Order: sequence, then C-alpha cells, then structure tokens
Amino acid sequence: MSETFECGDTGALVAYMYEECEPEIREVIATHLKRCEACSSEIDGLSWTRGRLQAWVPPMPELRFQMSVPAPEPGLPWWRAPLPAWAQAVAALLIFGVGLSVGLARRPATVPSQASSSQPAAVTIDTASQTDLSDLEQRLRAEMAQMRSTAATPVRQVSASDDDIMKKVEALVAQSEERQRREFTLRSVEMAREFETQRRIDMATVRETVGQFQGAAGTEIRQQREAIDRINNFIRVSQQAR
Amino acid sequence: MTRTDEELVARSRSGDVDSFNQLIVRWERPIFALAYRVLGREEDARDVCQDTFLRAYRALPGFKGQAKFSSWLYRIALNLCRDWIRRQQRAPVSQMPEDVDPAALLAETEPAESIEDLVARRELSAIVADAMRSLSEEQRTAIILKEYHGMTFQEIADMQGCPLSTVKTRLYQGLSQLRRQLERRGQGMPQLVKRT
Repeated sequence: MSETFECGDTGALVAYMYEECEPEIREVIATHLKRCEACSSEIDGLSWTRGRLQAWVPPMPELRFQMSVPAPEPGLPWWRAPLPAWAQAVAALLIFGVGLSVGLARRPATVPSQASSSQPAAVTIDTASQTDLSDLEQRLRAEMAQMRSTAATPVRQVSASDDDIMKKVEALVAQSEERQRREFTLRSVEMAREFETQRRIDMATVRETVGQFQGAAGTEIRQQREAIDRINNFIRVSQQAR
Repeated sequence: MTRTDEELVARSRSGDVDSFNQLIVRWERPIFALAYRVLGREEDARDVCQDTFLRAYRALPGFKGQAKFSSWLYRIALNLCRDWIRRQQRAPVSQMPEDVDPAALLAETEPAESIEDLVARRELSAIVADAMRSLSEEQRTAIILKEYHGMTFQEIADMQGCPLSTVKTRLYQGLSQLRRQLERRGQGMPQLVKRT
C-alpha cells in the first residue's frame, strides 16, 4: 500500500477501521481524521454499525457431533487375502493360455483325410438332426399339454406375489407419509412458536406505546391545570386591585 | 497437552478418528454459527454443520495443508450453505396436516424466558438479521467472516475467490447499506460526539 491517503478512499478507511493497514498509512489516516469531518463521520458510522452487529447472537445448542468409523477387520491370512488387480490379470491370462494350448493339442491333426470321408459325415449329421427334431417336438408337445393342465396355478402364484408387493408398497407409502407428517408437525410447532413470540413482542410494544401516550396525556392535563390556575390567580389579583 | 490443528489433521489422515473428533469439538461451534448466520435457521445450520464435518473427513486424504484447516472447513461449510439455499428456493410449500393442532403443541413447548428479556433479545437480533438479509450474498458473507470469525481481508479474498480490494469494497458497501437499513428500522445512530 502506498503511504499516501486520499480523502474519501473508502478501502483505506475500511482497512484503518479493521486495523489492517500499514503503520505508516495508519498514522496518515489518523491525522487526516482529526481534521476531516466527512471521513471522521464515515468511520464513526461504520463503527457504530459494527457495534450493532454484535447484537446478533446465534443460539447455542448442544451439538456434540462425533465421527464413528467401524473398526477395521482383523488382517486376513495370506491365502484368504484378496489378490491385487495386476495379479488377478496375470492369473486370468495364464488360465486363458493353458485353455488355448489344451484346445490346440486336442484338435485332429489329419485335415486332408476330411475330403474323402465327407459324405458319411453329412449323413450322420442329417440323421442326428432328424432324431433331435423329433425329440424336440415330443418334448414341446408334452410341455404344452402340461401347461394346459396347470394353466390356472401360475396365475394364482403371480397374483399372490403381486399382493405381497402391493402390501410392501403400501407399507412404504405409509412410512413415508408418517415421516412427512412428523416433519411437518415440527415445522408447524416452530411456526406457531414464532407467531406467539411475535404476538408477545407486539403486545409489549403496544403496552409501551400506551404507557407513553398516557404519560403524554397526563403532562398535557397538568400543564392545562397550571395555565387555568395562572389565569385564576391573574383574575383574583386584578379584582383585588380594583 | 493441546495439539495444533495441523497435528490433529496429520493424525486423522493416518486413521486416528479420535483426533478428528477433537477437531470437531474445536470447530463445531464456529461452523454452526457461520451456517446459522448465513441460513437463519437452527435446524438447517445443524444439518449443514454435521455435513461439513462428514465431507471434511471424507476429503481428508486430499487435504494437503495448502490452506489452514479452519479456512478449508469454512469453505466446505459455505459451499454447503450455498447448495442449501438453492435447494430451499426450489422446495415446494407444504400444507398443514388436518389433525395437527398448533396451539396444543405450542402449549407443550412454551419458552421459559421472561418477556422483557425475550423482547429485548429478539428485537435486536431480529432487526440485525433482517437488515443483513437485505445485503447481497457476497457482502453478507464478507461481513459475517470478518465480524464474527475474525478473518483477515486476504483470507476472505481467498475464500470468496476475489481480489483483496473487492473484499474491502464489499465490506464498506455492506456496512453502509446495513446502517441505512438499521436506520430505516428505527435503529438510528445516536448523536455523535465530535472527535478531539
């Protein structure tokens, strides 16, 4: 900060008021305030406002927050401890590699002989497919018949499970409503308290105002009586003079 | 033996929960007071205060001690207050439940304070709180941090992310407006005694 102060420099005045300026500039401002009415009254006004701020005191509730962290589990033996990520990746690669090499080792080595024996293989595949298809057809028919005979049972099961779900949902909704109702009750108590306090303040203000009014009226009556007394005295004195 | 904040932070970072609880005991009141003055409601301030310590504990591994622990804590609390104010602005207005009787509830929670004390305390406090609400958020926060938490201009500038000169301007303009607001509410400044 420079060591000069310009009249009306509000930033410097604020720094002076909060005692956060250099000692040199502080002296300069102090000297200036002795002769400058405007800056002096500015500082007084700001300081007065700061004084009023001290009236705003927050409530002092018992807080007592505590951080509680669950105790860590006792150390696991090395064979039960989880592996680090890199070790898991290496293990996965190893298993994949072993599987691949086993697969390659079991693959038939005589590829050219496939051309000569292609016809019987195709027959075998066709026969197997027809057998499979007929098996599948029979299985499907049996399942469909079973489904027809027991068609009502699953519906009843579904509806029973629906009832359970509905009950759970209703219970959750009821809990939520209850919670909201409780919260709202607390809020309404607070509002009612605020209202009552305000009413008391208003009553006290009214009483005070009425008291002032009564005091003023009393003074006025006394003054009127004194004036009447003075007039009566004056009349009495003038009558005596005659 | 009283440990410094830095020592307690270091211990907390290495997993000592008791050290963090000592920090809570040390700072819960200032943080609560800050939240109360910014938010204006005891319950909200309590929640914000609790949330501040929870967040601080979680973020402790990332706190490298660049700033003072208290400044860091104040910053968390102010951010939470700001979020809280935004959330409250969006919250819908509720309806009074039908079976709640406020008068009956009030009778159970009657304050035990004498009427004179209550009037004096509430009147002054309410006027100042009301006047403070007329300030901008930046001015109000600057005044709260300066007047009630004794921060330096530089600390407030760091917290508000603005130049030092802006902090002085906010304080000057905030206090000036506050004075006008107090005068408007019948709390005018008494006649000044001339400086000698």
